[in-house]
Amino acid sequence: MILALLPLSRFVLGVLCYAHKRASRGLAALGWCIGVILSVFLLVATRDGSILTLGLGGWPAQLGIGLRFDAVAAAFAPLLLLLELAVLLYARKGERDPLFYALLQFLLGAVFALLLAVDLFNEYAILELLTLVSFLLVGYERRATQVWASLKYLILASIGMSLFLAGVALVYRHTGTLNLSLIADIVRARPNAPWIPLAATLLTVGVAVKAGVLGLSQWLPAAHSAAPTEVSALLSGLVIKMGIVVLLRISQVFPLGLLLQVLGTMTALIGVLYAAYARNLKRMLAFHTLSQIGYLVLGLSVGTPDALAGVLDYAIAHGLFKGLLFLAAGEATRAAGGGRFTELATNRRSIPNATIAALLLGTLAIVGLPPLAGFGAKAALLDSHPSRFVFAVFYLTTIGTAFSFAKLLPLFRWHRGTARSDRIGAYATLALPILFFIPLTVTALPSLDLAAEFEPLLVLESLAAIAIGTLLHRVLRRRTPRLPVRLFFLEEAVLAILIAFLVAAALIHIH
Amino acid sequence: MAFSVGIILLAIGLVAVVVRRDLVVKLLALGLVNAGSILALVAVGDRPDARVPICGICQDVLYADPLPHALVLSAIVINFAILALALVFVMRLVEHYHSTDSHHIEELVQRDLDEGGHQ
Repeated sequence: MILALLPLSRFVLGVLCYAHKRASRGLAALGWCIGVILSVFLLVATRDGSILTLGLGGWPAQLGIGLRFDAVAAAFAPLLLLLELAVLLYARKGERDPLFYALLQFLLGAVFALLLAVDLFNEYAILELLTLVSFLLVGYERRATQVWASLKYLILASIGMSLFLAGVALVYRHTGTLNLSLIADIVRARPNAPWIPLAATLLTVGVAVKAGVLGLSQWLPAAHSAAPTEVSALLSGLVIKMGIVVLLRISQVFPLGLLLQVLGTMTALIGVLYAAYARNLKRMLAFHTLSQIGYLVLGLSVGTPDALAGVLDYAIAHGLFKGLLFLAAGEATRAAGGGRFTELATNRRSIPNATIAALLLGTLAIVGLPPLAGFGAKAALLDSHPSRFVFAVFYLTTIGTAFSFAKLLPLFRWHRGTARSDRIGAYATLALPILFFIPLTVTALPSLDLAAEFEPLLVLESLAAIAIGTLLHRVLRRRTPRLPVRLFFLEEAVLAILIAFLVAAALIHIH
Repeated sequence: MAFSVGIILLAIGLVAVVVRRDLVVKLLALGLVNAGSILALVAVGDRPDARVPICGICQDVLYADPLPHALVLSAIVINFAILALALVFVMRLVEHYHSTDSHHIEELVQRDLDEGGHQ
């Protein structure tokens, strides 16, 4: 019963938020409180590792719609509520209208529903709902640049979801069910059935478009950097992870190892390359989201329980520090009157010190400085990877991350007499879990070895990567030509989906 | 048969989205992509020599699988909503840039971004 209430309460509140315009802020706060109470109850009920399930309407699992609260949902629920609290605290009174709060409720309801979904068609429908709501949120301020970014997002996501739906049809045709665990049994019984490669390709490519995998997600940097600040934080912190959640569920059913390794490597390296060349803060953050999605996809390619725990760990950590970075970047951009690094540096005086402190903490976490969130999660993810190749990809990406974040260095100095930031509450909400991330994960996941995370060699290596990146930036900063590839044209993006589809089909066939 | 037709329609739609630069035509092609995948889903319910699944107590009668048809309704509604909202956003773009050519709009947007400096 409580399982159904978790998403349902948000949809009811969403309608109420829009109907009672004066009370919308209060209703949003109420939604957060209900979410906290229900989540705490569910987390306590599943503390011993048990899984709660609910079959709606009393239908058997093969036909009916089921809900399931498992380890993935348990890991994401706290992140979701923390990000929501930060966004509610960030949006000042009178700044956002009731439509924003209503859409926010729908977005969070859809995220909860996706975490609980157990069948392919439900995942399709909820992903489409997420697309629609984030489409409206990106274009919510109605500036033409935002409208164009969100229209591109909608068209590409809709194409991806059509491929996904065709994959769902193919799976149902050959298995007679949409329930993921039943499909997994059938695939395990006959792993060489001829329909499996095509169905796996359709589902993976479809959801990879939503998850922000490079080659398929040219919408991402434009949409995430053009969106209103709170929306950027939610999109990068949360919505993009929902694609990863679905990818995780699919990778447990179909053998996708090689394909995910190729996609993950490409995404991680090219994302960080574009981030290194970005000249605008929010755009750079958006490209970093791409490169870190690459980490997650690489983690999924291993497929062992340890690797999945590492993926969840990194997804949560990334949600926290990317949310913090986007919120702080939004305020800094507004205070400085422009988001380019040159503008930010010249107008440092008008940016509050608290905002700079939040940016600094986010930067340290994202480059993986021990003992902050980024390091702990990266260690957990690396721990599960035996191969030297993956380690090299991680190392290169970390150097690139340090290189691009070194562009923020001129900002990091104390200025007396700057304006006071009134958004400290929002920053603190995300900063505290970043600072105490390792103790928190060790309490939540006793299976993770604390000593392994603080292996001296690993600490030294990550410090070295940060140092190399920063030094490289000092050496190369005079030479930054424009990258020649047009990543943002809609037609090329759709073409990329088609090419990726063919490559994916070939890779799965080899596998 | 109908399943393959669905997949072919989907492919034709995808090609049209890439080739045609006019945004309205692009959205029509998007509709074709969606229709293709929906047709594929409808076709899944089919069984040879099956009758319509409206038969009271269906004993000893071979009837088409009704589940995909129930799913298809949601898919149709979702795609309708997506196309409608996309057209509204195209209208907004036309108001602002007086063009439906996607390359032209992309260039104007990039110019806006470079000049405005806000983003």
